Amino acid sequence: MRYDAIVAGGGHNGLVCAAVLARAGRRVVVVERRARTGGILDGVVSTVGRLRPGLVAELELERHGLELVRPAVRMLALREDGPPIVFYADPARTAAGLEAVSRDDAEAYPRFDAHVRVLARFLGELAEVTPPRLDSGALGDWQAGLRLARAYRRLSARSARELTRAVPMAAADFVGEWFASDAVRGALAARGSLFTAMGPWSAGTALVLLADSAGNDGGAPGQTTFARGGPVALAAALEAAAKAAGAEVRTGAEVGQLLVRGGKIRGVALASGEEIEAPVVACGVDPKTALTRWLDPEEAGPRLRWRAGNIRTPGATAVVDLTLSADPQFTGVDDTGLLGGRIVVAPGIDHVERAFDCWKYGQVGERPYLEATLSERSLRVLAQWVPAAADPDAVGDLVVAELERHAPGLGGIVAGRRVLTPALIERELGISGGHVYHAEPGLDQFFAWRPVLGLARHRLAVSGLYLCGSGAHPGGGVTGGPGRNAAREILADVDR
Amino acid sequence: MQQRYDAIVIGGGHNGLVCAAYLARAGLRVVVLERRDVLGGAAVTEEIVPGFRFSVASYVVSLLRPEIVRDLELPRHGLAILPLDGTLTPLDDDYVWRVNDHGRTVRELRRWSLSDADAYEEYSLLMAQMARFIKPILSAVPADQGRIRPNEWLSLAPLARRFAALPRRLRDTFIQLMTMSAGDFLDQWFETDPLKATMAASGIIGTFQGIRSPGTAYVLLHHYMGEIDGAFRAWGIPRGGTGGVSLAIASAARAQGAEIRMEAPVAAIDVHGGRAAGVTLASGETIEADAVLSSADPRVTFLDLLEPDVLDGQFVDDVRRYRFRGSSGKVNLALDGLPEFTCLPGRGEHLRGAISFSPSVEYMERAYDDAKYGRFSRRPYIDSIIPTLVDPAMAPPGKHVMSCFVQYAPYHLADGRRWDDEHRQAFRDTVIDTLAERAPNIRDLIVGEQVLTPLDIEQRIGLSEGNIFQGELSLEQLFFNRPVPGWARYRTPVHGLWMCGSAAHPGGGLMGAPGRIAALEHLKSRSASR
Repeated sequence: MRYDAIVAGGGHNGLVCAAVLARAGRRVVVVERRARTGGILDGVVSTVGRLRPGLVAELELERHGLELVRPAVRMLALREDGPPIVFYADPARTAAGLEAVSRDDAEAYPRFDAHVRVLARFLGELAEVTPPRLDSGALGDWQAGLRLARAYRRLSARSARELTRAVPMAAADFVGEWFASDAVRGALAARGSLFTAMGPWSAGTALVLLADSAGNDGGAPGQTTFARGGPVALAAALEAAAKAAGAEVRTGAEVGQLLVRGGKIRGVALASGEEIEAPVVACGVDPKTALTRWLDPEEAGPRLRWRAGNIRTPGATAVVDLTLSADPQFTGVDDTGLLGGRIVVAPGIDHVERAFDCWKYGQVGERPYLEATLSERSLRVLAQWVPAAADPDAVGDLVVAELERHAPGLGGIVAGRRVLTPALIERELGISGGHVYHAEPGLDQFFAWRPVLGLARHRLAVSGLYLCGSGAHPGGGVTGGPGRNAAREILADVDR
Repeated sequence: MQQRYDAIVIGGGHNGLVCAAYLARAGLRVVVLERRDVLGGAAVTEEIVPGFRFSVASYVVSLLRPEIVRDLELPRHGLAILPLDGTLTPLDDDYVWRVNDHGRTVRELRRWSLSDADAYEEYSLLMAQMARFIKPILSAVPADQGRIRPNEWLSLAPLARRFAALPRRLRDTFIQLMTMSAGDFLDQWFETDPLKATMAASGIIGTFQGIRSPGTAYVLLHHYMGEIDGAFRAWGIPRGGTGGVSLAIASAARAQGAEIRMEAPVAAIDVHGGRAAGVTLASGETIEADAVLSSADPRVTFLDLLEPDVLDGQFVDDVRRYRFRGSSGKVNLALDGLPEFTCLPGRGEHLRGAISFSPSVEYMERAYDDAKYGRFSRRPYIDSIIPTLVDPAMAPPGKHVMSCFVQYAPYHLADGRRWDDEHRQAFRDTVIDTLAERAPNIRDLIVGEQVLTPLDIEQRIGLSEGNIFQGELSLEQLFFNRPVPGWARYRTPVHGLWMCGSAAHPGGGLMGAPGRIAALEHLKSRSASR
């Protein structure tokens, strides 16, 4: 059978891309190396609230089984020298609670939340467009440019200036300008470091923080939206939507190389030797894998290979899944409802930065920065910063020890444990460097130069080859943005 | 009877003097008011130890804009720049030594890594091309990003066209330089650790960032933009120390008719009916003028010299959040002879350039980590030069001066402590220990010294928090955000009050560009209002 398009990699972005193409009447096959689709939805992330809102409607995901759950508590910030700070979905309610920490901070919080929303709204618009060419203007660019100009004009003069100022800032500074309490600063700023190899004092982490709230209801504390049944339920809904539209999904099918003839893509060869032909291949994998491992070096050329090889993919996040035999008891938490959001251990800027420092020298810090979510009696913990080759057991012990400080006795109720270090994420999921975002979300790998300048419009080196994964704009996390935008570009090219 | 001037320039640093010279050249009656009894601000030469003259703060020159040298005919006013050749990075039992002679440097790098030697050629060419591309930015007046009217952005149009015309490879590099860390940027080319550490060091000078902090590649480029006689990346020392540059500019300003008053500290900028009308000196004397151009930093200008009710609260808040965060100190040594390095004994030409204490990337990063938590680096990065080897008149015959720029020394110490004599002594000992590790005879050579902590730099030179660039050169404080978003065009919310110091675009360094552009903008506005 001949296809119109092959989607290589069945993570959330690959599935979104396939579903959109299939709904446009294309014959699509998704090839996934693992036994199940879902990518990072299967075993790495826990929240799905960054999913672009339009996609739920467009792909009729609710009809395909997706049910989103939004707890009232967004974030519970644990600390040792005081009761936890609760960040609710409602800023006024959060502010009321902050009174006990700092009057000034309580007063500043709703304004900060609004500030984040204004800046994030613009970044949400930015996420919708395909980055313009920076060398020559084409018609499509003109439309994107107009859309962005309109969004920019909607900002007040003050906000426009603040936007250009905020984007390259360190999250520690961005948050520090508003709040006095280190506990509040740490909890809010840490999100700018999640899944990155940057501490809160690194320039550009304010952008990561804002992008996390872009196009969703995140605001200051960030989104906390779950899929009922866990993140894999979103993968199942996306797969169902793609299949319902006629897409084929093949699991256990590992791509070995991209087939190219005369400068045009003609399909993929699986590791098994089987060849699948199609005039379009959309890669859901990271760009380094696509360009340096899958693409023939002769087709890529030395210059592109060098640039692709330099795409920064410093994975530094470990995932620790704990199965508990009893309900955990967190100090200062009487109401279990408070455990319904993200449980964060980032009690101060310096505390988090020190966790990052150790990583720079190839070590795991004694006091990691943690973000945990509790579902029934399963606790999923994201831990930073963890060197790629760290010993998984040592990381697991460290995470449990850190949690013990806030939930005494927790170690005793751990019935099962699974640890994924960056090296294991790389092996399990096939992501270069084990970087959950496929490419570091630094200022140097952003928008029109993500993953590198000249390849940001989803089209890769060879005619018919596209990037639809997190390594493309608007970047990593469960947004579906790269998959949706890539599908739009593919359809535009095919229809031309 | 009171004199009346067209313009008062506050501060006799190099930018204030450049500004005054340009205004006087256009026929304005100008007076420069300098607080101290010496001219130059941070570009100043002083005889601290009898017979030994130190470039007290700023110690090399490269960034000084060639158009200023030409316009003001500075060579005629005594400016002479002596070339400084090479950078030596001493290690335990080896060294990396780069010199201006490209072929020799490449041969030296081959000792370390063949691929680095190859990459060095390509890299040097690329950076020279980048510097040439970005040079016009140094003379451009920033747009206001808060307005979307096309004419606001017109000043950027030539730049955008130049960008579009660049070969793709250079466009790539430009984006990387604007966004990456110096360390990551260099990783793409080089593998030799001490080479990377030393090259990356240019990216952190005067910032509170580490070589792995995003945004430092820009500062790397900022330091590459220097030009002497048309040669990029050429560093030199002015005859007579960096004060020699200031004196030449002052002489040029005077020749154009500008008046320069020393020991005339300004106590307040006088504002009448929303307009700057002159200044009041600490002595109580008032001086009237149509305009006041301040080369002092924004904290001094807006928070110290203006009455609080002159400015609106939002602007004051924006000035308050402008970041200084001084991160460096300076140790100037009077020496009885030349230091002898264990790794490369002798008194050869290796001592005639910069000597960089930056043995590894990790060393640099750990130095930064100390500073993040409020202490000076246990093992700091030191950039030292021995100016007497090219300008012997700086010390008595046979004696030498050694200038050591030391980073990191944070202005804000942990737990709210303030720099005092004890801290200064400990800082000094750390610096000498660091030097002595590689040049053990240094201790016996010291016959006099001057140690400047960031607090000393603030108090002596008047730079807030001891930041040598009048505010961090971090990405959010560049171009249209320098020093305050919406106020990056040398004007201020007070009519007739202008900024002309390093806190304005394009920032710090012995460059003179802010002083020149501010003067030209002021002249333009005068002729427009006429």
